[in-house]
Amino acid sequence: MLFLALALAGTSPPEPDDGQATAPPRSPAVEQVSAWIAASGDNHGHAYLIVDKPKARIYLFDRDGTPLRDAPVLIGRAIGDEATPAIGRKSLAEIGPAEKTTPAGRFLARFGRAVGQPVLWVDYADSVALHTIPPHNKEHRLQRMLSPQIDDNRITFGCINVPQDFYRSGVKPMFGKDGGYVYVLPDVKPLETVFPMLALQRAPASKEELAASPR
Amino acid sequence: MPLTKIAPVVAIAAASLGLSGCATKQFVREQVGVVNARVDTLEQRLNANETATRQAQSEAQAAGTAAQGANQRIDQLNARVDGLEQRMMKPKRARN
Repeated sequence: MLFLALALAGTSPPEPDDGQATAPPRSPAVEQVSAWIAASGDNHGHAYLIVDKPKARIYLFDRDGTPLRDAPVLIGRAIGDEATPAIGRKSLAEIGPAEKTTPAGRFLARFGRAVGQPVLWVDYADSVALHTIPPHNKEHRLQRMLSPQIDDNRITFGCINVPQDFYRSGVKPMFGKDGGYVYVLPDVKPLETVFPMLALQRAPASKEELAASPR
Repeated sequence: MPLTKIAPVVAIAAASLGLSGCATKQFVREQVGVVNARVDTLEQRLNANETATRQAQSEAQAAGTAAQGANQRIDQLNARVDGLEQRMMKPKRARN
């Protein structure tokens, strides 16, 4: 309906801001992963991003783990946490529907060259980058990003699309010099399978827990 | 019933109650001793388990720290390889 209204009006909608006014609360998975990163120093002094695929939202943290801002994202059309082997060598036309996943995991991301625009390369080998919405796209990506629904945010070939303001004022200054880490939360896999170090972050077992455990 | 006839009955009943009372205390002491021994054994096992668990946790933490260091080195190597590839090759197309 929104698409139709916008099409009829013939106007392009405004770029979404970070959505702070209506930002949904962070999911338990985001809380768990951000707490682990801050406690373990897994980001090695870099700023970092957490991409919550199930909620189609991205969170920016500074090097000390202070949350700075968050925004809606567009992610890979297919549900899944793996990248097809050698997908980085395929052209967009060669990528099948089931291959359009945004792989889950932990990535050291840096800015670099790409055809058409400079991007933040998240997984260079698999051609996954973070950038703004490509111009002249046919999928109404801006409207999808603006809509409150989550399902329609799954539209890319695997890249992560973010709002312009989030990219220019958030990601660029924080990741510009030395890059930073991007943690992409899984769709399907258990969190501790994607981030095995999370298991070590659990508190040591108490005497009561030990007493209750079978011998 | 005259009091003289009741007295021996009361005496016998009192004596038997007293004797059974002593037997009950003895029995309880024995049972408490058995239970105490079991509790001691379980406590020893619990302490041993706790020590082993803490040691395992400590070793896991050490392994985790080592893994984190290795991860960082891999990150750096990956970044170098990606950087070299970007310099040598034509710009790559992102998956939009």
